[in-house]
Amino acid sequence: MGLFKRLYDWIDLRIGAREIVKKELTGYLLPRNINEWYSLGSVLLVIFALQVLTGMLLMVYYVPDAEKAFKSVTFIMNDLPYGWLIRLCHAVGSNMMVAVLLLHMLSTLTMGSFKKPRELNWVTGFILFTLVQGISLTGYLLPWSQLSFWATTVATNSAAAIPVVGPYLVEFLRGGKLVGPPTLGRFFAMHVAVIPVIIAATIGAHLFLLKRTGISTPPFGPQEASPPASAPAASYHYESHPGGIPFFPNYALQDLTSICVYFAVFLAVVFYAPNLLFTPDAFVPANPFQTPAHIKPEWYFLANYQTLKIFPSELLGLSVQAAAMTFLALLPFVDRSAQRNPLKRPLFLACTIGGILLWIGLTIWGHFS
Amino acid sequence: MTDLSQIRRPSLRVALSALALATLSAFAAPQPAPAAEQPETVCIQCHGSLPDRLGAPVKLWRTSIHAENGISCNACHGGDPKDASDAMNRSRGFLGAPKEADIPAFCGRCHPGVLKDYLASAHGKRLGQGGPTCFTCHSNHAIMKASLTLINEKSCTRCHSFERARAIRDAMQQTEGYIVDIDARIKGFQTQGVDTDRLGKGLFAIRNRFHTLFHDVNVTRVKAESTQINVELAKLDKDLKVIEEERARRKTVGAFVIAGALLLAGLFHLMKKTFD
Repeated sequence: MGLFKRLYDWIDLRIGAREIVKKELTGYLLPRNINEWYSLGSVLLVIFALQVLTGMLLMVYYVPDAEKAFKSVTFIMNDLPYGWLIRLCHAVGSNMMVAVLLLHMLSTLTMGSFKKPRELNWVTGFILFTLVQGISLTGYLLPWSQLSFWATTVATNSAAAIPVVGPYLVEFLRGGKLVGPPTLGRFFAMHVAVIPVIIAATIGAHLFLLKRTGISTPPFGPQEASPPASAPAASYHYESHPGGIPFFPNYALQDLTSICVYFAVFLAVVFYAPNLLFTPDAFVPANPFQTPAHIKPEWYFLANYQTLKIFPSELLGLSVQAAAMTFLALLPFVDRSAQRNPLKRPLFLACTIGGILLWIGLTIWGHFS
Repeated sequence: MTDLSQIRRPSLRVALSALALATLSAFAAPQPAPAAEQPETVCIQCHGSLPDRLGAPVKLWRTSIHAENGISCNACHGGDPKDASDAMNRSRGFLGAPKEADIPAFCGRCHPGVLKDYLASAHGKRLGQGGPTCFTCHSNHAIMKASLTLINEKSCTRCHSFERARAIRDAMQQTEGYIVDIDARIKGFQTQGVDTDRLGKGLFAIRNRFHTLFHDVNVTRVKAESTQINVELAKLDKDLKVIEEERARRKTVGAFVIAGALLLAGLFHLMKKTFD
């Protein structure tokens, strides 16, 4: 203990550690009625860190070459000590990251935390959502299995529906007319270098905005005495919570609770249902000359996949999806009312529930179609 | 008002449980590898719509092991499967239907090992003298996979008594069951990402060896060979048990890790309560 205190004093003398701890941890106050949903951001940070760690470990043995990729993944799964655990953590983690991100967005949406002055928080969060989808899509190809090869063929083919530039875009994405070794090279570079750096930078921007605006007060539970939210802000205003609970230790313990609950669910899938996310085609090497009977995208793309199928033209399907995504991205600029409690906003609540049911319905339809 | 709001406050744990359930229910259990897609050739397009004798082969073929493995009409009968006008053109390799004495050679183009076994057997030695051909037991068009179910009283007693055939079938029954069981386990592991290449190749060789017995009518030899094959299968069985034990061990470790995570979650929750 004496050694720890001496070390702490030594650091404090040089960087003012006590001041930082007081300002950012023990003195960083959060609303008293803050709930568990607010900890999803911390869960996502842990997931991202774990993805980076497992991804780095996989890179030691993975070979991004069309001739060797499948064999290298098979080697990792079967011969490398704990390789199966690292690979499954990475594969399951990518799905869990999308699932938790959707929940995080849903809680933000439901509690109206995207509203003024947090429009930029929402926009950076939405960018993160699309980036996570992008990193999942690019990672899907890397095992170079029948599933990854044909799913990527279908996914990249959708871009061809865009007028004028569509065919060029497909060729640019694939590095050729068809999915092949150049596609693997491109997707590998995007997956391990480009997108992670952009995600890290966007997370940084998201956290910066969170710190600058302050934590939003949940619209549920006892409300703090604060100026009416509708009052026009003439200058920059940080939403502080005097009399609130400190981040450390109170809410840090909630974060740890949520992280542990997440790990229990995540590890349950890893140890007991790893095949939940794989079809038999995921364990057959890619064969460009043999199209499997039923290739489906990942569960989070099933709604998009089904939307493309139900519209008479792919362009129409893509346009509808683009319109829906743009609407969602710009929601804070559309929904400008000050009221944040969903129970007092029946139209918003109906639209949200309707949208979720539509997405779930399309996903199930896409799975069984 | 505040109490009610707090009661209605959404719970993350409930949501995570719901997420896990929804994720589990959204996906079906691992499916077996799909069979090869049945090819649509001009032969099938034309004959498939014809009545009676001309259309029947297509209906029968669809139920066959050949259809299951993507082997279409042209693989046996020749011809151009992509051009309706040349589909039955002899200059394009069309062979038509073989005469009875030519049937073993017709099938033997793809199954040379089986042809050799058949010709060496009592059945093969009676070819052209009223003895059975491939079609007699395996049927034509609705071609059945080689299995012990083909050796049955109804089929064999068309030509002779069932006594010897029964003795042979009984000797092979256990081995076939062993092969089917090991095959299912290997396929199951294959769909879970286990490298089953060596095991699959080993079973393929053993099964081929076993299938050579199908045309042998020497009971003593069949019994001796089946015993040898069972020894080989036992080695594969042992290897599979090692994988199964490893999988079971992973689940046990997983249970402890998951319990540890839940225990920590409970502990942190209680610690948080003390600060609240």
